[in-house]
Amino acid sequence: MGMAIAHAQASGMGGMRTAGDLVARVQLAKGYRIREAKAYVAEKLGVSVRDLVDPVIMGEVRSDMGLGTMMPLAHTPKGIECKFNIARVLDIKINCLDNFRGKTGL
Amino acid sequence: MSDLFVQAKQAILATDKEKALEIAKRHLDAGGEPLEIISQGFVPGITEVGEQFGRGTLFLPELIMAAEAMMAVTDVLSAAMAESGQAGSATPAGSILVATVKGDVHDIGKGIAVAMFKANGYTVHDLGRDVEVGDIIDAAEKNGSRVIATSALLTTTMGEQKKLEETLKKSKLREKYVTLVAGAPVTQRWANRIGADIYAENAHTGVVRVSEKLMAG
Amino acid sequence: MGKILTRMGDGSPVELSPAELRQDLEDGSADAADRGNVPGLDEEDFRYLVELFTRRDRFVGVDVGNEVVLTYDGAALKFKRHCLFEERLHVLTLYEKMFGADTVELGHVDYSYKPVKPIVNYEQGTLEMGLLTTHSPLIYGAMPNLGLYTRPDGPCPNPMELLPQGKIKEARAAYEDMVEEAVRDIVFVVGSMYESGADGFNLDTVGASGDADVLASFLALEKLRAKYPDIAVEVGMAGEFVLGMHGELEYGGKRLAGLYPHQQVGLAEKAGAVIFGPVVNTNTDQTIPWNLARTVVFTRACSKASSIPVHANMGMGVGAVPVTDFPPVDVLSRASKALVELCGLDGL
Repeated sequence: MGMAIAHAQASGMGGMRTAGDLVARVQLAKGYRIREAKAYVAEKLGVSVRDLVDPVIMGEVRSDMGLGTMMPLAHTPKGIECKFNIARVLDIKINCLDNFRGKTGL
Repeated sequence: MSDLFVQAKQAILATDKEKALEIAKRHLDAGGEPLEIISQGFVPGITEVGEQFGRGTLFLPELIMAAEAMMAVTDVLSAAMAESGQAGSATPAGSILVATVKGDVHDIGKGIAVAMFKANGYTVHDLGRDVEVGDIIDAAEKNGSRVIATSALLTTTMGEQKKLEETLKKSKLREKYVTLVAGAPVTQRWANRIGADIYAENAHTGVVRVSEKLMAG
Repeated sequence: MGKILTRMGDGSPVELSPAELRQDLEDGSADAADRGNVPGLDEEDFRYLVELFTRRDRFVGVDVGNEVVLTYDGAALKFKRHCLFEERLHVLTLYEKMFGADTVELGHVDYSYKPVKPIVNYEQGTLEMGLLTTHSPLIYGAMPNLGLYTRPDGPCPNPMELLPQGKIKEARAAYEDMVEEAVRDIVFVVGSMYESGADGFNLDTVGASGDADVLASFLALEKLRAKYPDIAVEVGMAGEFVLGMHGELEYGGKRLAGLYPHQQVGLAEKAGAVIFGPVVNTNTDQTIPWNLARTVVFTRACSKASSIPVHANMGMGVGAVPVTDFPPVDVLSRASKALVELCGLDGL
């Protein structure tokens, strides 16, 4: 697991600190290669591609859009609540949300 | 290289046992030396088979069939040597014991090694997988193996290779055997640390290094 | 210029002269180009790699803008290996919040599809809980692991016992039976976990048991895509070429045995993979520069041949990472940077 940290520092997008999880979602949902996936996410978030790996800018964007933050405050979206926002903002299907709707009658 | 030697090499590469036997017979009928066609025809053939297997251009079933062809011709040529009063065998190979260590059930690499050693004329005693150190040594003592080769796929099981070295030393048997270690996490550094004689990155390297070691005495 | 400190493939330190460094890079490149019949490195690549290995930074990273997405294999299980008994869902949050993970992966301790089959309901419950609390894509991972289908662990005779006896026909039949069994289990487990909401799947270490293992994975993937058109599956390989244990198995009209990464990726895509994870093995008898040059050649050819995202495997013993439990960051970070930047990767 030390290796996972080293790779994340050397080459990773930064996960939830930035937009790494969002770009990963688009790769999985649409099969886009990295440039296309980054461009897609940047366009949907209204930021530049370079901003996607900036924790300061993305921290604000995520907070504003309710996409999940590293230190979620009270009354802010967490967990699956963020996923509803992510699916809407990125315009992608998130598999577990259909189950959630089905189980809750939402 | 004579045309017959080229054909001998090709027969092994084509895994054609009948053709290989026919070539061996033609060579003997023409008064040729058994060792000559082995060393200049059949051995280069099986060496290339090993190299091709390592490059992914030839596969395990073909390796097995090449081994069978090789074993058939070495039997015939060894018999011819004995008849003519020549000492030894048509190949320099000896006897090797092969096992996957205790606690480890991975046997694909070991299976490939067994095939490769057989292909190169070795008598192989395959003890299978998950074998205790004590059972490995007992078997080697009983079947007269010169080489003990062990495989470990996991970092959690490679310690058994060290245990084997220590047990051999305690039993005052260490000098009697050539030990070989192999497996995914195993390295030359590990072999040096535990005192194993040979580290094999793959089956082909194993055969080459064991043959060199045995020939060096 | 003085000696350059780098490492062997087993992680041990070694010093090279500039000429030796250049020679190792050229030799590693030539080896891959020859084996894979793909283009080797060019002068610009060599300059990049020489600079990478001669700089004195302890740790290096990709240039800003070149960052890629990270996926994992067996991530949740790695705590256990260190005798850290964290609950799996807690591990997912640690990866997400502390390790900078772009995705998180849930897996059973056995990390094979077969043993999950009888306990799939428990795994579904765990996954569903995880989906409520995590934010990143949650991938479920396991290996096809055809070895579990041979006696005494499974119903089929062991080909590795049959083959050395020359029983080739019987061994091949056993492999074919193993494929059928494995396809059934993979489809059942992956289908169940998909219905529970997993964001993606990792078919990991594909080909560990040779060509039959690859065929089982591709056939299972085809069935899954037919049933769940939106399913996202990453195919991560076990070795740099497909071992021909059966030797005659084909997929999409191509013999699987002997295929290198640039030849594997198209078939994975045809089967329905969304991400492909190529492997290049680390040779411990050679230096890391030799291994890295070789890995770049194979991986770049794969990346160029692919139209789906490529996440190269870069764990212990693969992707020019040394064969040691705790790879030193000097060579690990150099391998990470070079592979991403020279191969046009989409992830690791």
